[in-house]
Amino acid sequence: MDGAILPLRAGAESRQVRFMTAGSVDDGKSTLIGRLLLDAGVLMRDQAASIGDDEEDLAALTDGLEAERAQGITIDVAYRYFETPRASFIIADAPGHEQYTRNMVTAASVSDVAVIVIDASRVQGGALKRQTRRHAAIAALMGLDVIVAVNKMDLIDWSQERFEDIRTAFVDVAGALNLSGVVCVPVSARRGDNIVRRGGADWWHGASLIELLEQAQGPASRRDAPLRMPIQAMLRDVTSRFYVGRVEAGSVRPGESVVVGPQAYPAIISSVRVGGLPVSRAEAGTSVAIEFDDERDVTRGDVVAAPGVRYARSVVADVCWLDETPWRAGRRYTLRQGTLETQALIEDITFVHDVEDFSRRDGASSLSLNDIARVRVTARDSILADTFAQSPGTGAFALFDPQTNQTCAAGMIREAIA
Amino acid sequence: MRLAYKFDDDALVSGEAASVRAASRLERLESESVYILRELAGFARPALLFSGGKDSAVLLHLAIKAFAPQRAPFKLLHIDTGHNFPEVLAFRDLRARQTGLQLIVRDVEDSIRRGTVHLSAERSRNAAQAVTLLEAQQEFEFDALIGGARRDEERARAKERVFSHRDAFGAWRPRAQRPELWGLFNRHIGVGEHMRVFPLSNWTEADIWAYIIQEQIELPSLYYAHEREVVRRDGLLFPVTALTPAANDAAVERVIVRFRTVGDITCTCPVESDAGSAEQVLAETLIATVSERGATRMDDRANAAAMERRKVEGYF
Repeated sequence: MDGAILPLRAGAESRQVRFMTAGSVDDGKSTLIGRLLLDAGVLMRDQAASIGDDEEDLAALTDGLEAERAQGITIDVAYRYFETPRASFIIADAPGHEQYTRNMVTAASVSDVAVIVIDASRVQGGALKRQTRRHAAIAALMGLDVIVAVNKMDLIDWSQERFEDIRTAFVDVAGALNLSGVVCVPVSARRGDNIVRRGGADWWHGASLIELLEQAQGPASRRDAPLRMPIQAMLRDVTSRFYVGRVEAGSVRPGESVVVGPQAYPAIISSVRVGGLPVSRAEAGTSVAIEFDDERDVTRGDVVAAPGVRYARSVVADVCWLDETPWRAGRRYTLRQGTLETQALIEDITFVHDVEDFSRRDGASSLSLNDIARVRVTARDSILADTFAQSPGTGAFALFDPQTNQTCAAGMIREAIA
Repeated sequence: MRLAYKFDDDALVSGEAASVRAASRLERLESESVYILRELAGFARPALLFSGGKDSAVLLHLAIKAFAPQRAPFKLLHIDTGHNFPEVLAFRDLRARQTGLQLIVRDVEDSIRRGTVHLSAERSRNAAQAVTLLEAQQEFEFDALIGGARRDEERARAKERVFSHRDAFGAWRPRAQRPELWGLFNRHIGVGEHMRVFPLSNWTEADIWAYIIQEQIELPSLYYAHEREVVRRDGLLFPVTALTPAANDAAVERVIVRFRTVGDITCTCPVESDAGSAEQVLAETLIATVSERGATRMDDRANAAAMERRKVEGYF
């Protein structure tokens, strides 16, 4: 068992890729995930016991809840974990049905890449299903890269022509949505072709799905972005005050000049600790404890930022409404950005995104479950004016309903107003 | 949260010696768990569920790290089925003393005496813990219960939120979960309600062992190879103990085993293994072909939805 050291190091240092899957049972999405887990050799014997080559059995692996198995549909996001020698993966498996758009949004918020599954046998004349267009639109709104798994190729005799038609159709969609980094791969989840092992088409010389996932980069690193560190809490010992939080963008180091909170109080960081030990630098994604060179009035919700940071009371944002209770004009919601919570109003709806024909519907006065709209939001306190595209960690916000405590909207800042 | 996990090969090569990159998987997992634990700072009466098992030992280690140099602002709570291995209880008490955190133990036995728990053939003490847990939650008015459950353990847990809301009845409603966006946790609860918080959601069994090695976290001796009397049945090894004596006709063997989970004695089985160190356990974990709960937990084998039903009733 001396060999233990090797796999440990390989696993502990491996790349991690977070991806979500979109598509319905009809497209073979659950079958595709089952196949991925089975052929990557990560399914445990007891979990794989009931599996033959049967499609339903593969799909049943991913339906976690009783109600889901009873109805044969996926209701909620399920998280799954597997690894290959080259990367470790977290799958956020989201249901595909229209009424579960909110779950796709939830899954997208913790993913770098979306795998969109299309049933090739049901695409006629290159016309993609409305559902596929919706999945692509949400991936674009939430800034994900996209891998298109053109599934059930075995049912159309691996027709290269029909694959190319679908690819062309998707590239058109991607163009309309400003979606970059789209790749397509022909697969048969049922037979396992081009999922992990190659097979099916002799004309396909591109990568398999697992290779595409292993290579996935996701959006560019935030290491070079300006520092953003929302404060979670203040801890103290006899002589010192430590402000703790996670670096959401950029990096933090001792001696650095920063500004704190919307008043932009200048401060110098005197120490940075990770896990109780002093470090010379901590990058995005790291939970840290910092000290300032002198006493500061800093509280949860304040952000430690690089000089030049901008704040605003009003922002233009895309929001996806996630609550069964529709938005009510004039109602105050609790907005959470970073660790700040403040009251906020949606002042007006600029337009509603039609996520199937990509048009913009003006003059809307209501927002209900699964609607995605461009809105103007005004907050009681100043919030960071970061755009989602520049700084996803701080350019995003959530709205909570203070009367029901429900999470009712996901927001992505597009521009600051004032 | 998505970009928190970007991994950059260059950073590994070019980083300064003491520079911390959120790069390696364990660093990322630790940073995420610490972030989640620090989100509990605003709760009035949070408790960390501490059984002495390996996941709760890792959880406690992370909680202490997250709040250093202060003491972690949590009480420790253990729901004792009365069927725990003595080595595990001794370890539990030792860790509570070492950390200086107040340990509260509530017994399923007391719930049985009060009449709030009726055991039957189908209802193990393990499932009955949910009742005692909710009684303890109400007794101490805990507003957050922090657990070491992982999403990779079981299919209902795969759908669990990190901040998982419980209504005034303590019930989990899997079909009405709040969407959980980025790292923007919704911490709001109403009167009498509480939050279950799972900082280890994204850890796998192998990650837990790798972290135990890296941080040199102590565990009860049951996790490592030892000789034990067992009976083989249905592909499982049943420990022979005072609580679980062998049937008259059963063939008792002495086998070198270790436990992958250490729950209630009456429903936890060891596996054959000669892994005597955390490194050896990890090596076995990486090549394991049977899932953690499938190998060891009779209660989850009963029914595909067994865990889900227990969770709906308030199980952790």
